[in-house]
Amino acid sequence: MTEKKKAKLTPVLDYLKHEDPFAKGVAFCPGCGLELLLRFIPQVMGNDIVITGTPSCSAPVLLGQNNQSWHKLSYFGTLMTGAAANATGLARYYKKAGIDNTVVCFNGDGTAADIGFGNLSGAAERNEPFIYICYDNEGYMNTGVQKSGTTPYGATTTTTPFGAASKGKNLRRMNLALKMAMHKIPYAATATLSDLGDLAKKLLKAKEMKEKGFCFLHVFAPCPTGWGAAPDNTIEICRRAVKTNYFPLWEAENGKIRMTKTIKKPKPVKTYTELMKKFKFMDEEDHKILQDDVDYEYCILGGLSVLEAECQLPLPADE
Amino acid sequence: MSSNVYFKHEGPWSDANDPLLCSDTGDWRTKRPVVDEENCIVCGFCAIYCPIQVVQMKGETHFEADLDFCKGCGICAKECPKNAISMVSEGEFVK
Amino acid sequence: MNTKAKERSQIKVITGNAAAAIGAKLARPDVVAAYPITPQTEVIEQISSFHASGEMDCELITVEGENSAMNAVMAASLAGGRVFTASSSWGLVFMYDAILATAGARAPVVMVNVNRETPGIIAVSSGQQDMISTRDSGWIFLIAENCQEVLDLVLQAYRLAEDYDIQVPVMVHYDGFYLSYLSEVVDVPFQEDVDQFLSVLKDQPQRTTLKPGKKLGCGSHGILGGYLELRHKHVTAMERSKAKFDQIDKEYEEIFGRSYGGQIEKYKMDDADVVLVGSGSMCGTIKSVIDEKREQGIKIGLLKMRMYRPFPSEKMIAALKGKKAIGVVDRSLNFGFKGGPIYTELKSFESKLEGAKLVSFIDGIANTDITKENVGKMIDMTGDLANGKDVQEVTWVSYPEAQGGI
Repeated sequence: MTEKKKAKLTPVLDYLKHEDPFAKGVAFCPGCGLELLLRFIPQVMGNDIVITGTPSCSAPVLLGQNNQSWHKLSYFGTLMTGAAANATGLARYYKKAGIDNTVVCFNGDGTAADIGFGNLSGAAERNEPFIYICYDNEGYMNTGVQKSGTTPYGATTTTTPFGAASKGKNLRRMNLALKMAMHKIPYAATATLSDLGDLAKKLLKAKEMKEKGFCFLHVFAPCPTGWGAAPDNTIEICRRAVKTNYFPLWEAENGKIRMTKTIKKPKPVKTYTELMKKFKFMDEEDHKILQDDVDYEYCILGGLSVLEAECQLPLPADE
Repeated sequence: MSSNVYFKHEGPWSDANDPLLCSDTGDWRTKRPVVDEENCIVCGFCAIYCPIQVVQMKGETHFEADLDFCKGCGICAKECPKNAISMVSEGEFVK
Repeated sequence: MNTKAKERSQIKVITGNAAAAIGAKLARPDVVAAYPITPQTEVIEQISSFHASGEMDCELITVEGENSAMNAVMAASLAGGRVFTASSSWGLVFMYDAILATAGARAPVVMVNVNRETPGIIAVSSGQQDMISTRDSGWIFLIAENCQEVLDLVLQAYRLAEDYDIQVPVMVHYDGFYLSYLSEVVDVPFQEDVDQFLSVLKDQPQRTTLKPGKKLGCGSHGILGGYLELRHKHVTAMERSKAKFDQIDKEYEEIFGRSYGGQIEKYKMDDADVVLVGSGSMCGTIKSVIDEKREQGIKIGLLKMRMYRPFPSEKMIAALKGKKAIGVVDRSLNFGFKGGPIYTELKSFESKLEGAKLVSFIDGIANTDITKENVGKMIDMTGDLANGKDVQEVTWVSYPEAQGGI
């Protein structure tokens, strides 16, 4: 056999220091962004994390069936309404009992941005010592694709369907990650699946920073089934979300906002929306509204990140 | 008295010290990834992006998916920078 | 056995809320999470001041709502901690989903609920409607009559909830306003005696807890028979809790010299022809009216319910059978069903009461005082029933306009 050309192995593999604790065959759709994220987290952070999960696409896998589990992590199955409070209870008890712990409160955008936002905000305000990860598939996918607070303008879902009087969601999405950063927590960041090295770094950073308090990670995770996308496009969708600034990658450490990936010439948002059927009813005017929304959010973020020298949070008094 | 047939513990606890649950997700597949070993440059992108994390290095020459569990999503083929993976219909492999 | 405890006392004049807070402090919980609501607020104020002064070494979580309070203590409890929370009325129903989850997960949470109305009609007033609204949640419900009993029941609640054979959350109820803000003489137990009383739990097997790296998870789906199995375990544990509570009450007496009779307290019942069934703070008033009526030669007694869930059926049947007439006083409503909730439940045992007749009294809702006069009326009406007179089935004692009851 002739000597073939070999590339350097992707450095992402170096971050995967731990075993994948999940069974190989679990019930996520082909091309599921959530599945990749869920398997990635413990491989980077370790199998000794305690993960909490709520009713969502993650629940059939995160939570067991009778006495059997789909994975080897210690988990706690909770309610969407109180996910962050459950994680609070766990982390505070471990603190009291002197037990080393990394509690990961793992929820979809429905829990994080909608029904569970109150207790997410409360836990952030109290600077509770755990990591909250929101996997954002922009809607209630497990119940059959309904609109949530992070569903973008123009997307059709089963509760924002296309019809004579409607073209899809006619409201703008909220910016959950920025909202969380404004809680002045030790660490907030966005990440996605096309940039796994960036995600791994942020997971490790969160693990380190949770010693100082609340850490929030907002991970953009496409749902091919709910979004009307080809299963093999999951990573490409993430990539284009970043390249259009639809989902910019940044982190805020001690209040200091920094872009972790800067896009020199952002592509029009249409190059992102064209990959999914959920945007197929959007015309030029709708695209302008979505583009304006993307530009507005990026402008705010850019403004905050250039102020980095002046806007670092003072350290707590006991530091 | 109650029995302990379905649960070992008093409450709704599942115990991963027992064998894990596992589904034969390989059965879902309509297309399978076939790697062109010659073109594979062993970069590992297929492995990191595989949602099921079942694409693994075979020796030092190439990567290969575990077909018992591969759902055939095609992400590995799409992300391969050398287009060394093609998705081939399962029908082709029926004897 | 420490015999000193019975002989020494530490008398203080404190409110029911302070008694609850001191009870919680003495139990040394690991995690306390609570949110203020009238008339419970003083409980968490007290605990916060104990925490601030260093008297109480716990993680205190000042949550942003009651739902989070219950969710936090549920998780902390399943992780292995001793926990406490307190609420009332709207707060209690705002944590309702977590209340159900806590019971289903068999987390041995202990909380106090300061009874208050839960109407759409704004009423910051006492009533047991919040207790009834959460009745079918799978918790053990205990009801205190006075401030001393509030404190004692909080301590007994930990023994019951955390007992290895039980593992069911316990809610201690006491009447808002009447007990929450009422100052009474309370004999506050000494810490070492409480430690001794609770130390029994340490000798028991370790319940299943959630720890990092142990490959155990809580919140598994109950599939097919699995769900039935856990539900059956739960109801049988609740059934066991009846005798366990009686036993704990006896052990409490051995250490502290105070016994209340366990599931039910019988007051002048033995020779009584006519009995009132009541719960909570009304029982003090009823007892004093009974004393007066007894002086007139009327054979009347009181059955005080201390345990409401599980329903102390056997004890109540044994105590009530053969009586001539029983008046059941409810501080809450049973929407869509005739008579108060406790009345309705007792009515289902009528065939076992050997001819005792039952009548329902609704009183004390929304802070209408259950006065001595009202109690006298109830006793007279129940006496009429005993003497074969025709008495309407349901009477709203403070609202005579309610002709025919309902």
